[in-house]
Amino acid sequence: MKNGNRRGFLRGMLGGAAVGMGLPLLDLFLDGNGKAFAATGQRIPVRFGTWIWGCGFVPEKWIPTATGTDFELPADLQPLAPYRDRLALFSGFDVKLDGVPNKPHVTGCLGLRTGIPVPNDRVAAPTLDVLIGDVIGRDTRFRSVEVSTSGIQRSYSFRAAGSANPSETSPLALYQRLFGEGFQNPNAAQFTPDPRTMVHKSVLSAVSEDRQRLMRSVGAEDRRRLDEYFTSVRQFEQQLALQLEPPAPVQNFTLPEPPEDLTVDSEMEHVIETHRLMAGLLARALQCNQTRVFNVLLSDTTSNLRRRGSSTTHHTLTHEEPVNPALGYQEQVGWFATQSMLAWRDFLDALDAIPEGDGTLLDNCLVLAHSDCSIAKSHAVDGIPTMVAGNAGGRVRTGFHLAGNADPISRIGLTLQQALGLPVERWGANSMATDRNIRELLG
Amino acid sequence: MFVKPVGTFARYVMGAALALWLIAATSAGASNAAPQLLAEPQSSGGPAMLRRLTEAQYRATIADVFGPDIPIPARFERALRAEGLIAMGTSEAGLSAFAMEQYNTAASSIAAVVLSAEQRQRFVPCAPVVAEAFNAHCARKFVQRYGARLYRRTLEAGEVGGLLDVARSAHARLNDFYAALEFTLVGMLVAPDFLLRIEQVQGQPAEAGHSRLDIFTRATRLSYFLTGSAPDEELLQAAADGSLDAHEELARQVDRLMSGPRYTGAVREFFTDMLRFDLFDDLAKDPLIYPAFNPTVAADAQEQTLRTITDHLLVNEGDYRELFTTRAAPLTRSLGIVYRQPVPMRNDWQEGEFSARSGRAGIQSHVSFLALHSHPGRSSPTLRGKAIREVFLCQHMPDPPVDVDFTGINDDTSTARPTARDRLRAHATETQCKGCHWLMDPAGLALEHYDGLGTFRTRENGAAIDVSGALDSREFVAAAGLGEALSEHPQATSCLVRRMYRFATGRAELPGEHAYIEYLNATFAAAGYRVPALMRAIALSDAFYRVVPNADKSIAVGHDEDATGDSS
Amino acid sequence: MISNVICAKSLFCALLCALLFTTVQARAEAEFLVDGSAGFVVSSIRYALAADAEENAGCPEGMTTGYADKSEVFIVHDGLQQRDGESEDEHLKRLFGVAFGAESVRNLCMNPELGREDPGFRVVTGENVPVFGIDMDGATSSVDGPAVQDACPHDDFAGMNGESGIDNQYYRVVGCSAQYQSTGLSNSFELEMLSGSWGMLITLDGVDDIANDDEVQVGIFASADPIQLSPNREPLPYATYALHQDPRFQARTTGRISGGVLTTDPVDVRIEWVVNSIRLDRPLDDARLHMILDDEGVMDGYLAGYTNVEDLYNYNYSFRNGTDGTGNLAPLRLRAGSAIGKAFVLGYTCEGAYQALYEFADADPDPATGRCRSISTQYQISALPAFVVNEATASSNAELDAAGFGRTGVYDARPASEAEGR
Repeated sequence: MKNGNRRGFLRGMLGGAAVGMGLPLLDLFLDGNGKAFAATGQRIPVRFGTWIWGCGFVPEKWIPTATGTDFELPADLQPLAPYRDRLALFSGFDVKLDGVPNKPHVTGCLGLRTGIPVPNDRVAAPTLDVLIGDVIGRDTRFRSVEVSTSGIQRSYSFRAAGSANPSETSPLALYQRLFGEGFQNPNAAQFTPDPRTMVHKSVLSAVSEDRQRLMRSVGAEDRRRLDEYFTSVRQFEQQLALQLEPPAPVQNFTLPEPPEDLTVDSEMEHVIETHRLMAGLLARALQCNQTRVFNVLLSDTTSNLRRRGSSTTHHTLTHEEPVNPALGYQEQVGWFATQSMLAWRDFLDALDAIPEGDGTLLDNCLVLAHSDCSIAKSHAVDGIPTMVAGNAGGRVRTGFHLAGNADPISRIGLTLQQALGLPVERWGANSMATDRNIRELLG
Repeated sequence: MFVKPVGTFARYVMGAALALWLIAATSAGASNAAPQLLAEPQSSGGPAMLRRLTEAQYRATIADVFGPDIPIPARFERALRAEGLIAMGTSEAGLSAFAMEQYNTAASSIAAVVLSAEQRQRFVPCAPVVAEAFNAHCARKFVQRYGARLYRRTLEAGEVGGLLDVARSAHARLNDFYAALEFTLVGMLVAPDFLLRIEQVQGQPAEAGHSRLDIFTRATRLSYFLTGSAPDEELLQAAADGSLDAHEELARQVDRLMSGPRYTGAVREFFTDMLRFDLFDDLAKDPLIYPAFNPTVAADAQEQTLRTITDHLLVNEGDYRELFTTRAAPLTRSLGIVYRQPVPMRNDWQEGEFSARSGRAGIQSHVSFLALHSHPGRSSPTLRGKAIREVFLCQHMPDPPVDVDFTGINDDTSTARPTARDRLRAHATETQCKGCHWLMDPAGLALEHYDGLGTFRTRENGAAIDVSGALDSREFVAAAGLGEALSEHPQATSCLVRRMYRFATGRAELPGEHAYIEYLNATFAAAGYRVPALMRAIALSDAFYRVVPNADKSIAVGHDEDATGDSS
Repeated sequence: MISNVICAKSLFCALLCALLFTTVQARAEAEFLVDGSAGFVVSSIRYALAADAEENAGCPEGMTTGYADKSEVFIVHDGLQQRDGESEDEHLKRLFGVAFGAESVRNLCMNPELGREDPGFRVVTGENVPVFGIDMDGATSSVDGPAVQDACPHDDFAGMNGESGIDNQYYRVVGCSAQYQSTGLSNSFELEMLSGSWGMLITLDGVDDIANDDEVQVGIFASADPIQLSPNREPLPYATYALHQDPRFQARTTGRISGGVLTTDPVDVRIEWVVNSIRLDRPLDDARLHMILDDEGVMDGYLAGYTNVEDLYNYNYSFRNGTDGTGNLAPLRLRAGSAIGKAFVLGYTCEGAYQALYEFADADPDPATGRCRSISTQYQISALPAFVVNEATASSNAELDAAGFGRTGVYDARPASEAEGR
């Protein structure tokens, strides 16, 4: 017989390592209000947002050929090279229709955001962003901020069917809403520790008091295991203790200038400008805690984007433009897909431009970028391109491409909720119902 | 208390025990060995264990105590598998900070629901005069009731006092009676007494040199063994009032638990563990080679085998050995694609048999076995043969040597070596390989009519597949032949006995328990290899509850078989 | 003598064994055929057309064009024309406001019979254009040819392999539309099938020999179950599908297999389809299969027949009889919007399409007027082995069905109201 002690110990270590994938997160913990602690011990809130672009993608220009961490960025994602390690790319995840008729550009987008595909506008609300906002965005001035940058007043954020949370379409209006009347100085607020957190902490202290009694009652090997238990309890207690400290003051914040007047319409060049401006304002609003949740609509799901000098919209092109036989895809449509990814890079630039804690605002954000379909000409809702950016203050891991192999796309929504501390084990309906989170994202 | 009507199944189990007794009694004159075999021999007992609740046990316990409708929103970490069983891993697993975080998330959510305005009437046995006031009497009742259920024992006065102090100070801060109870419950749900099964030894030794587990620990062992959950009120009561000390009461409780609704779940938990179904979490198949594989197929394949097992062992009261030969084939639409059999039933399981053409017989010909013990893009006679020996016969197969050259074996497009048998010939000739592979490959080769997912085929790369195989000097053909060989293999039943005892105790059997294990083997045989009879015999035996004082636990967790199930 | 008998016996045995063995072998190879029956699921379907106009010179008069001004889709369109400085988006918004605002403003897509003749709708007039498809009427017809008793004179095409008499007048109607070229999108309607909205099944029964059998029973059905796909979106063989429980979607006929080619006698077939979540029927009258069957049970070939022009116009252009799945008419906004939007996006006029369909209708003359009312329509289809069962079972999506999102009458032939009471 082998030496059981050593084997047992080693196995315990191995077991610990196997489960210890969560260990890096120890320094970072999220309380019920979504406040994350940076490794420095400062409390920095985590933010969540979605970023939607319409009419899908050109797969050969978007899906990396390799999966895992070692992949080449394809043409349309090349501009995102600076963010390669802070992005997770998801291909091949489906909205499962279960025979539900596909309402083009709606069923896919809302199916992804609610976990339930519907054949019409009767959204199975609330959408993902609202669910998350109810946990992490409770105590900010705005529960969420919605922005649409192509002049169209639409939003895919629903608390209840029939009433979308309305989008701001003008940079100036957005500025006034965020920084005009009612603006709250982020550092002026009085901090009051949450009494529930105080009670929670004292409950754990009481548990720890049992240590001696239990240690006496077991043998040496089990004492080691009990010791690990009590160490874990103590660590958790310390995390709660940190939450009772005042939040880190917002640093380097200066009130932005009102934006210049510019043309807001659906012409791509204008949209890029409008989007850049609104992204900057939104990033500032996030920095100074006016909101923790946002939804950006670059272009509507039936994309009304136009190219200068052309009257045909992106969406119309998806149905009208013949496939270029040499390229194997619709060339004009491909142009819009490329532009959309450039805008996405602009958005990340805006978040990354703001220093926060040891890193930038982007590090403390979790942004889900998605489209409404994969190949717009057929309104396909299988393989909708999806990305996650930012690390939510260390709650998610990025820097990989994952092929879904036709798994339900609700796995992504489920994982994001879990990453942000929502107590949900299962999400979606019918074939979209899933309790399988994405381990790669959670680390 | 009332006695539930005993079902036909429990009658059967009791009948088997009675038959045993009769055999023992009547054969006493004819043979000296027989009565000794069938009367429980003296056993050393083992150490008191410290076992972490498995995810299944945690969920079942919460469902039993608070109701199956209470959500448990935790992400449980991967269970530790040791010596071929997660049940053994529970005796070694620690509790990491990540796990603590998750237990805390679950505890907070459970407590919030239980004490919510909508639910509290269900759980709080009394009410404060005004919601803000602290009702000490009510709080005490709450703490005692749920403390007992969760800690699986009567709480000592000091413990109740401590929890009441927690409630009182919570109330002082929050000024809300139910919020105070909510956090008190959080405390109980993250307490070591709930998350860990800390076995205690009875104060007075029953006889010189041997002790017993204390009565609540015995009830807990019994309950997790036979129901996969914590003791219910009735069993706790029998422990609290000491009546469980009496063998008749123990027998009554065992029969009650085995005829109850959770017993099937316990049997499923055992076989899920033995068949290593947790490895399905990591199972990947190449979508181009096995397009029919998806998460639904993976889940249904496991369920198919578990249904087959519980239908055969529990519903049909069948012989364990027939699991290797049964052609019963519960199917779903998703599985039908893999098995290439029609499944008219759309949303449920369709009972039926495997087609004669496919030659399938026994759970070792199920997709759950064939796909799990294959490579992502091809079958593996070696992995299958290894699993046959490790899973069903409790034999240990060593890992391959580190410097081995696999190129010839892995080239499955070779026209010179079209079938796996051709490619594995090197295993039988190279001396480096031969030593182990002659044990593994021949059994696995009999399953080559099933590809890496488990779909029936007769050809590989155009060549007809030879499905002759061998297991321990017995030769046979195809899955059915392997099934017969397994069903008649003496180690198949003794392996199950050993595993079942390890599942029940969370440790390997000790040298001092040798005679006892032999007794269990004989009991299993005399009962016609009925698994419930074996479980009943364990649950009723003295050895199950016996403690070696100051036992060296290193002996109990030292083993003779390998822990890993995933070597290549 | 004795030895002779043994000899004869063993010879007989050997022969018998050889015979048995061959039979067993043949059976073993044809995994998809069990007890003389085989089932198939249609895994791909598209109109049988021809090479692109650019290659086959089928459109000497050019390609079809749509409304010069989008307002022309309305019967009365004064004041609706695009205004100076008005963007296309704004114009569309205004038009749709009108289309759905007042019932009196009728549009030509839903009322094509009220339209003027459209000279912009081009059809295939080129000479010697080879097409896909089969000869259905057993004649090589020509409008200019010797007078035949054919009440619906038409010009047949030559086949891709030089066959004569191919009846495929639908190609004539759509062959000069950009969207029906190989780079276009109109011939990829199977996508809704692949996403599970509808499906099609084929059964063979009474098969003694899978390669040659002069009488087999053939079923062509709509499927009640969504098609099963691999992670790479390829249809999977050997899945189980129940046939549509509404008898209108069940067609049964006879056929024969000769040299591995299955042909069937004409029967009226009906399948489902979906546009913009509007549910429609796709009927095909006097439909027949012409399929090549391989060893693995994969079939490839044609489903050819005649489509009533009104039916064809309804499911392909106007959607005016489209329903919402519970059997009620889909909202007008959705039907009209889809019909008009399709005409705008794909670049044709609704009345032009309607007129062309009647112009080339080649069957079913109206006894009263002599007007031909059906047009030859052919599909290229592929099918994979499947288990086809005929039973009423609950939908896999009962909740959505109950909410009116699913399909009624598909799983259970009883009316929805009755089925709900279960």
